[in-house]
Parts: sequence; C-alpha cells; structure tokens
Amino acid sequence: MIHQLEMAIWLAVASLGFAVLFNVPKRTLVVIALLSSLGGSCKLILINYNIHIVIATFFGALLIGLLSIPAAHNKHTPPLVFSIPAVIPMIPGAFAYKAMLGFIKLTENTSQTAYDIALNETISNGIIAAFILLALTAGVSFPMLISRKESIKTMKLK
Amino acid sequence: MKPSKQNNIVSDCLLEVGSLLMGSGASTNRIKVTIERIAETLGYETEILVTHKTVLLLLKNKKTEKVFNRFKKTAPHGANFKLVSGISRMSWRVVEENWNTDQVNQEIKRLQTATRYPFLLTLFMVSMADAAFCRLFGGAYVDMAIAFTATCVAFYVRHLLLKNQFNFYLCTTIVSFTACFISGLAVYLQFGVHPNLAFATCVLFLIPGIPLINSFTDLIDGNVTNGLVRGINAMLIAFSIALGMLGTLYIYNF
Repeated sequence: MIHQLEMAIWLAVASLGFAVLFNVPKRTLVVIALLSSLGGSCKLILINYNIHIVIATFFGALLIGLLSIPAAHNKHTPPLVFSIPAVIPMIPGAFAYKAMLGFIKLTENTSQTAYDIALNETISNGIIAAFILLALTAGVSFPMLISRKESIKTMKLK
Repeated sequence: MKPSKQNNIVSDCLLEVGSLLMGSGASTNRIKVTIERIAETLGYETEILVTHKTVLLLLKNKKTEKVFNRFKKTAPHGANFKLVSGISRMSWRVVEENWNTDQVNQEIKRLQTATRYPFLLTLFMVSMADAAFCRLFGGAYVDMAIAFTATCVAFYVRHLLLKNQFNFYLCTTIVSFTACFISGLAVYLQFGVHPNLAFATCVLFLIPGIPLINSFTDLIDGNVTNGLVRGINAMLIAFSIALGMLGTLYIYNF
C-alpha cells in the first residue's frame, strides 16, 4: 500500500517533468499530476492482480483519456494537453532498452544455443514494447475520438 | 478596401493560425476545425490542406463567390501546448464575441510572446522526471541520483545545440550519447545498486511522445498521410536515441 502511494508520487513527478518540457499552461499542472498518478496506479494495481501488462496499460491509458475530457471542459483547454504528458510515465522504457541490447547481442558471433536464447528474448521484449506502445496510444486517443463529433465543447456531459 | 487586399489579410491571419498549430503539436483534425471555425466568423468558406511542412488554404468569398489561394510553411516544430491551448480558447472567443481580423491578429501576437517556463526550472523538472522513471522501473535512490546527473548535463547540451539550429536528429543522437556516457560510467565502475536502470532511463526525456500519439490520432481520423509522416518522424527520433546508446555501449563494451 505504501509502495503503491510512493509509485503514485513518482508517476506524478515524471508527468510534471514532461508537462514543463511541453510548456503547458500553469492552470493545468495540478490536473496533469493527478491524472498521471491515477492512470499509472490503475495500471500497477491491475498488474498486481495478474493481468497482462499490455491490457493493464491499455486500461490505465483509457482512464487518463476519459478523465481528460471533463478536465478539458473545466479548464478550457484541449484534452491532448492533459493526456499526452499524463501517459508518458507508462512508456515501456525498460522493455525497449532490453530489446535494443538483444539486437546488439544478435550481431555478435556466438554459438548456436546462445544465439537462439538471445533471439527468443529479443523478440519477446521487442514485441511487448511495441504492443505496450500501441495500447498506450490507442487507449489515450479513443475517448478523444469518440467524444469529438464536432468539438468537445458542444458535447453535453450528463 | 479592395477585395484582393482584404483576401490577403484574412488568408495571412488564417495561415498563421494553421502554421503555429502545426508547429506546436496539434493533431491535423484540430487544425482544420480551428481554421474553419475562425473563417466562418470572418465570413469566408475555406478548404485547407495541412501537411507536415506546409499549410495550403483556399478562401471562398460567400458574397462574390470568388476563390483565393495561398500557402505558407509551418512554424519550426517544437512542443508548445500553451500556444495550442491559447489558440483553441481564442477560436471560441472569436465565435462568441464576433471578432474581426485585426483582433485575431493582435491576439495571435500576444500568444506568441507568452513566456516559456524558466530554463533552470525546466532543467530541474526534466531531471526529476528521469529520476522518477528510474524509481518506477525499480531503481534505488543512488541510481536515481545517477539518472538525475546524467539528464541534467544532457539537457543542458540539448539546450546549447538547439539554440545553434542544429539538425534535430543529429542533436538527439549527441544528447543521447552524452546522457549514456555519464550514466555508463557508473555501470563501468559498478557504482550504485542497479546502475544499468539509470543507463536505460536517462535518455527517456528525449522520447517522441507527441509525434507518436498525434500519429495514431491522425491515422484513426483518416488523415493517413499526415499520420504516416508523423509516425516516421517519431521512429527516426527513437532510432537516433538508440544510435547514441549504441555508441556508448561499444565504448564501454559491457
């Protein structure tokens, strides 16, 4: 539980770093931190319940995408200003790094068995990284696309 | 005023909006909707074509039925959500308060001069973000400090390179190399608990988050060409980061 809370704080810090880098308006900073820690915690909790990381990431990103719409209404800002910095802490950095290391290993001259092991690991890591990225972008852009017939502003929130 | 001159002023104003939005990271559909909304209030019908580097605009005068064509290259690409948000807000005020072209031009000028966050604050926050990534992937506090230092130096290098109008991809490679070189030193000397986590996370501030998500949004929206261009741009940036890491990996020979 305490571990979960600590992770939520680090998620918020990571998203705030990107928010400042992307130069978001000052009034949105608090909401971005909140959205990021909610979505990221959702993903971490789902992983704790033995749900696959790709699906967990999808639901975390979906939560951020959904919550960014009422936030956009409230702060008079397009929803992508909230959702893009908030999902960035979920990117599969570790998997992508391992996949890259694997590719480098594949270029070396090694024995057949070592090559087979490296190939297995590399492909597995690379595909997980790619699918997490896909789930992330899909999860965060679906709510934006569904909600936007003309524009967010004309939609009634009941 | 002569109609041709009026056309010039209106199209300049609308193209400026499109160019700024494309440069600061808005999706294609948002650019189209915003320009059409402003043009409607100013009394024109428009057709537009938005690409990665140029915006093409066709103005139709509702009274005289004459058409007018013009295009403009986009503003330099660099994320600036304050501008996206400000222009979106402005487009609503244009409709509600029935603005004319002069008022729109003045507001655009005001939005362009809006300040960015101070450099030192950005430096600190971005370094903290990478340290946070290190913690999220399971690093200890020592590793976080390594990631923080590496990012700090690398971000300063990036600032210097971008100020001199360097090629963006080459700049990304050099910055990624700098970050990895510093954190790689910790791996080489076996300093810290999991120094390779710091090595993996110190380049994460370079990842192309906006091109990636905008690429997907554009593809799903049906703006396939723009989606592909943005996707390839994102992949090139990711490749540049990997190239920088590769360089350090061969130097230290882990």
